[in-house]
This record gives sequence, structure tokens and C-alpha cells, in this order.
Amino acid sequence: MGRSEARPFTGPAADVRQLPDTDLGAFLGEVAKGDQAAFEAVCARTAATVFGVVRSVVRDPFQAEEVCQEVLLEVWRCASRFRPGRGSAMAWVTTIAHRRAVDRVRAERRLAEREQRATAHTIAYDEVAEAVQARLDRERVRRCLGSLTELQRESVTLAYYGGYTFREVSGLLGVAEGTVKTRMRDGLIRLRDCLGAGR
Amino acid sequence: MRPRRPEPHTLAGAYAMDAVAGADRARFERHLARCPACTRELAELREATARLAGAAAAEPPAGLIQRAVASATRTPQLPAAPRPAERWRRRRGHQPRTRTGRRPAPPRPALRARLALALAAVFLAVAAASGAIAFTTEHQLGAAALRDHQIAQVMTARDAVMLTARARPGGTATVVMSHRYRSLVLTTAGLPPLPAGHRYEVWLMGPSGDRAAGLLPAPHGGMTSPVIATGLATGDSIALTVAPAGGSPQPESTPVLMLSLTA
Repeated sequence: MGRSEARPFTGPAADVRQLPDTDLGAFLGEVAKGDQAAFEAVCARTAATVFGVVRSVVRDPFQAEEVCQEVLLEVWRCASRFRPGRGSAMAWVTTIAHRRAVDRVRAERRLAEREQRATAHTIAYDEVAEAVQARLDRERVRRCLGSLTELQRESVTLAYYGGYTFREVSGLLGVAEGTVKTRMRDGLIRLRDCLGAGR
Repeated sequence: MRPRRPEPHTLAGAYAMDAVAGADRARFERHLARCPACTRELAELREATARLAGAAAAEPPAGLIQRAVASATRTPQLPAAPRPAERWRRRRGHQPRTRTGRRPAPPRPALRARLALALAAVFLAVAAASGAIAFTTEHQLGAAALRDHQIAQVMTARDAVMLTARARPGGTATVVMSHRYRSLVLTTAGLPPLPAGHRYEVWLMGPSGDRAAGLLPAPHGGMTSPVIATGLATGDSIALTVAPAGGSPQPESTPVLMLSLTA
């Protein structure tokens, strides 16, 4: 898998038009009834985020596109399982996207390990962080990530954008598994509080 | 506010980021099922991860949405509690009239039927191209009929899902999968021809191990007629390898294609 080829990323993603999350849940409700126009509306509101998170994890642009297709189809197929009371529609969609992306990247890593059993993880934190930093277009998220402790930030970044398990993160960072687990949780709680304040 | 009980509650953060795999994940999910506090916490943490996702937003590739919408028209949906389509099907026997006395508008053709039709057309074309229909001899009919029945079952299953993937050396594979029947049907188009004495072999790979699922038939017009793989297990991926013509007990080469079947 090409890791560091120049991606056709067009600078700061300020021009990415992301329609607001409002109505997304209502549209999902219509999608659940088989409404294709509503599905198109859901896609229009989520495609940039879905593609962004999938590409962060999967890295290979071609595979990212394939995974995005699967994610959007899963949204179509499973729309009836969305429960508005249990969280936002965007969180429901991004959970699907991230899980699909992680599944794909882990299958790829298994393949790579079959190919060359020795070199397990050559991708270090810096590489993941660098790729992600280039894309973090939301100032608030960047600032909130910056407010975490270094270990919290590294753990969250490697897990979420790198697609690594907490055990792998522990190995990559050379930190005890128990510590990584709690840093992930503490880091996300802190992020949530930081992001939630004055939204 | 460190919890008194470090295990397995502390995994909520890692789990919210899909950073818990295998047995760890199964254990945490068991815990989650009987821990309403964890479920609430998880929902809150996922709002944070959604923001991490949003921060990575990028211009999607051209045509992504159009292709998704086009695929959706061929993909059946999971039923909600009472679905309008099902209510209609249930009362089809007595055709109720609306208050104005007219019959209710007919629902759009069932997606499942459309999926089956579209796929049947593709598969018939493949079968005709490969001569399967013309040259089926009588003693083959038993096994072939059983196989065709299984294939039809998967293709018309209520939960059928279609996935496509491109192979590394070129060509595509199309998979129609049914969790209900724990089976999938695979066709390929445009895979590069192999040297003599070699065939493409289908594998199911996952936590339950690697299982050979048969050899792809020889292509006709670049397409292979459908093969069925049964006994799907959770977490499986489907893979294609290049194998000696007789097949191999273990996948010996790097798969030319691998597709996660996780729903």
C-alpha cells in the first residue's frame, strides 16, 4: 500500500461544503421508509465527513472510495436501526464509517503481515499525526486535541485516525495497556467536554 | 473521577474508537449489554468521535453520491419494526380501500424483487455465455440444480447485500451475501488470465480460520459463472488467491483480492 504518495488533497479543506447536521435525523427516518430522495440528502450531508474519516484510516484513496460506497449503502440498508434518542445522526453515521474503515485497514494489515511477517508495524505515530494534522480543518477540534496531555492525544490519534487497537497502540508507544486504555477514555471525555462547551 | 473497577469499564474510550478487537471486544460487548451507564457513556463518547470525524472532512470523489444512490436502488433495506411495505404485504389479501373509495397507491416494486431480477439477468447472461445451460448433462443436473437452488436462495434472500471490489491485478468481483443463509454468491469479470496449471481459488478468511471455498470456473467472455460459498462466520472476509489447478489446503499466495464481509 502506498503510504506517503502525494495525495491530491487540495489544501486546507475550507472549501469543503458541509451542510448542517440539522434534519439529518429526520432524513434518516425517511430513508428507513425507502425514500431515495432522502437518502441523497443524507449522502450530501455526510459524504465529506464519511470520506474524510475513511481516508484518514484507510489511507489508500482508491480503497477509501470503495469503503465509502459500502458505508453509504449500509446507511441506506440499516437506516431503520437508527435510534434518535441514543445519539446524534452524525455520530451514528460516523460510527458506521469508522468501523468499516477499521475493518478494511485491519484486513489489509493482515495481508501485509502474510506478505512480510517480520516487519509488523513500521508506521509510527509521527506519520499518522502528520497525515492527520494536514487535514484537521476544524480549528476547535484542533484546539481541543491540543488541550489533551501528550499521551492522551497520541492514544486518541493512533486509535481513531490510525485504526490501531489499544493493544497495538500500547506497543507503538511503549506504554502499558492499562494506561493506554484509561488515556483513551480520559482523552475522549476531555475532548467531549472541550467540544461541548460553547458549541 | 477514576472508576473503582478498572475492568472492563475503562475500555469504553477504546471501544468508542473501534480500538478493541477480538476477545476483548466480545468481552466488552457482553459487559455493555448489562451496563446502562456504559451505554450512556459510550453514546456521549461517540459524539466526541463524530467531531473527530468531522474534523477530517474532505471533498469526496466525484460521483460518490450518485453511485451510492444508484446502488441503493438495487439494495434491500433491513425492516424496521412495522414497515409500510410489510403492512401492505400482510393485508394484500383483502385489498382495503381508502376513505375515498380508491385503492391505495401500489407500493414501488419490492427492492428485493428488483435486486433478484437484476442479478438473475446478469447470472443468466454469464451462464449462457459459458454454455452452462446448453451443455448440462443429465447426471450433472442433480448437483447443478441443488447449487442453482442455493444460489437463487441467496440472491432472493430478504437480507441479501451486494458488494463489489476490484482485484489488485485488475478485474472485479461481485458478491451477493445473505447472513440468514450464511452464504454468498460470487461472480467475477475481467480477472487476468492465469498461466496453465493455475486457477483462482476462493477463500473465507476470518477469526474462524482460513477455509477454501472452491475454485473459480474458467471464464467465458471474461466473466466467471456464479460460485456459492456457504458457512460464513462472523468477521469473515472473502479472498481470491492464485492456486495450483487442484486447489491448495492453505492460501499459499498473497490474495489478489480481499473483501471484508462485516455487515
